[in-house]
Order: sequence, then C-alpha cells, then structure tokens
Amino acid sequence: MCRLCDLYGDGGVWYLNPANYSRQLYKLRRPGEKPKGPEENPEVITEAKVREAIQIKMEEPERWEEALREADEHCSRVLAYQVIPLEEAKKIVHVAAPLASMHCICRKMHSGIEETNEDEYSCLGLGVGMLKWERWPERYRGGVHFVSPEEAEEWLEKWDKRGFVHLAMTFGVPYIGGLCNCQYPDCAELRYPLDYGFKYRDTKSHFVAELNPELCNGCGVCAQRCQYGALKFEPRTRKPTINMLRCWGCGLCQTGCPRGAIELMSRDSIPVLANEIGYRR
Amino acid sequence: MVIKIPQIEIDRTKCTTPFACKVCLEACPQSVFRVTPTYEKRGMETPKDEPGAWELYAMYRDQCTLCGICVDVCPEGALKIIT
Repeated sequence: MCRLCDLYGDGGVWYLNPANYSRQLYKLRRPGEKPKGPEENPEVITEAKVREAIQIKMEEPERWEEALREADEHCSRVLAYQVIPLEEAKKIVHVAAPLASMHCICRKMHSGIEETNEDEYSCLGLGVGMLKWERWPERYRGGVHFVSPEEAEEWLEKWDKRGFVHLAMTFGVPYIGGLCNCQYPDCAELRYPLDYGFKYRDTKSHFVAELNPELCNGCGVCAQRCQYGALKFEPRTRKPTINMLRCWGCGLCQTGCPRGAIELMSRDSIPVLANEIGYRR
Repeated sequence: MVIKIPQIEIDRTKCTTPFACKVCLEACPQSVFRVTPTYEKRGMETPKDEPGAWELYAMYRDQCTLCGICVDVCPEGALKIIT
C-alpha cells in the first residue's frame, strides 16, 4: 500500500479503484459555475511551483534548499504521479474508458519530438478528457487515436520493449487521466526526482526488482534498461546488482530479461522500503 | 559550497521561431532546453512559424556540461554560454 492507496484506494490499490476513473471527478463543475481553465488544475499549480523552485536554483542557489522543501511540501498535498510496471498498467486499461493514444508533451517541449501518427503516439489518455481533444489542438497535437483495451495492452508492450517507464498521472487528484511512457532526461517526471531530489512529486511503484543469480546468464540487457541507476552490472560476478533503495519498481529490467531471472516482489514485504519517503510517506 | 551555474543567453531577436527550428532541442545531450507556446487558443494550434509564438528557455541549465554543442548548431547564432 502506497501513500496514494492510503488516501484513494478504498482499502485496495488506488489505480485499480474504478472510483478514481469516474467521469464525475473530471473537472467537476457545479451548475452556474464557469468552466475552470487549466491554470486551476491542482497539478498545473504544483508543476508551476516545482518549476519556480528549479529556477531559484539557477538564480539564487543559496535559497535552493528552502525552495525545494517548500515545493516538495506542496507536492505532498497533490500526489500526482506513480510508476506502474507493465503488468499493472495492463490492468489499468481494463478499468478506464475510453482509451486513446496521443503525443507526448514532455518530449515535444524538451526535445522537439513531434509524434504525428498512431504509430508514434507514446502517451495514453484515459477517460472522458479524450473526447474533447478537438478543442485544444495544441495540447492534443495532431489528434488522438482511440483504442480498445486489447490494443492498448499491445501498445503498452511495444513501449515497454523499447525501454520506457510507465507512469500513471492524475488530472485533479485522484482522477487518473493518463498513462505516460517516460524516459530520462526528456521526461520531467523522471528528471524532478533524479536530478533535483523531489521526494513527493512522484510515487514509487508497489514493487521492487529482485535478481535470481542462478537463472542469470550475465547478458547485461537489464543494465541498459534501468533509468533510475539502481541496477548495475558487476564485472566481478558478471551479473547485475540491484540497489533496492534506488529501485523505483518500473519493472523494465524484469520485462527485458530473456531468462526470467528478475522478479518483481512487493515493496511492502521489505520493512525499510515499505515505509519509505517516496512510497508510503 | 555553492556551485556556479552557467548562464545560457538566448537572443530572442535572433531566435524567433524555436519550435520550427528546434535544432538545439534535438542536439542538447542533457535536454537543458524547453520550448513553450506563449499563447494557446481554443480550437487552433499555436503556429510554429509565427515569430514570438514559441519561446525557448534554458530551463535546466544547472545540468549543462558546457559542451557547447548548442552554440555550434544554432543556425541563427542566438545562443551564448557565459560561465
């Protein structure tokens, strides 16, 4: 159970709780109220605070630690992202509807990559938000591509094979509105915790990778797939070692292993990790 | 210890359509830059070719390694790294 499950799981896993995909949660508006712009999204406000803190690091480095603490405190009130391994992401596409793939805004803004068709689309939008893409063509550049849950599973496998970390993202916590496929350094949600040390912005997955050295043949594929710097190849044993404290449980090493030598075990089963900042707290 | 972070000066009179050009975005190995539309209108895409519609920022310049690739590739000569 992570901190998000504690708050929004109703006793279970929060991202498998259908209530968190409810149409009624999406930008809830009462009769007579004016529609809220994106600037009132809790995530957009938090994002702005995170960016502001990063700018403070550049302009006034001596104030950085204070700014980081303040922004992180804000993030702790708007928990918005969680790393999800492939098998769990495949369960999500059967809970949320409709599903539509679309372009990735992070890669567009940070690397100028424009995904223009359904073969290139690397982000999966969930829920009613996808039905209004025509209103904001800049955000949904080039449109969206609606898919069935089975197609979405295949699509997730495709991006997993290529080595992207899956993340569940919210639009107005706890409404889950998207499944990202992320990579360092283009994706802000990998960059914030890794380069800047934000602890509450992104939540670690419910799992942690474990190696079975007897099955491992030392091919080294896993070492190329770890984006969190948790798994390194040890020349002495010719096998990888996994630093559990750095492991985010994205499961890329597990899905990439041709010998099935890496397993994902429950983070809750390990006392130190179960109560870690970034997961439970 | 406070480490000095490099300044990346972007000459906005030369860099007017960064998203249409995006050479520096693609070239930077550290993904230091970020490009954003200055406005978003309902029902239309922000035009890439309109001067000033997109703006380039060196948002993560603390990650800059001073490799200088961006300065070399910029077709307008709009970038300058100051240490």
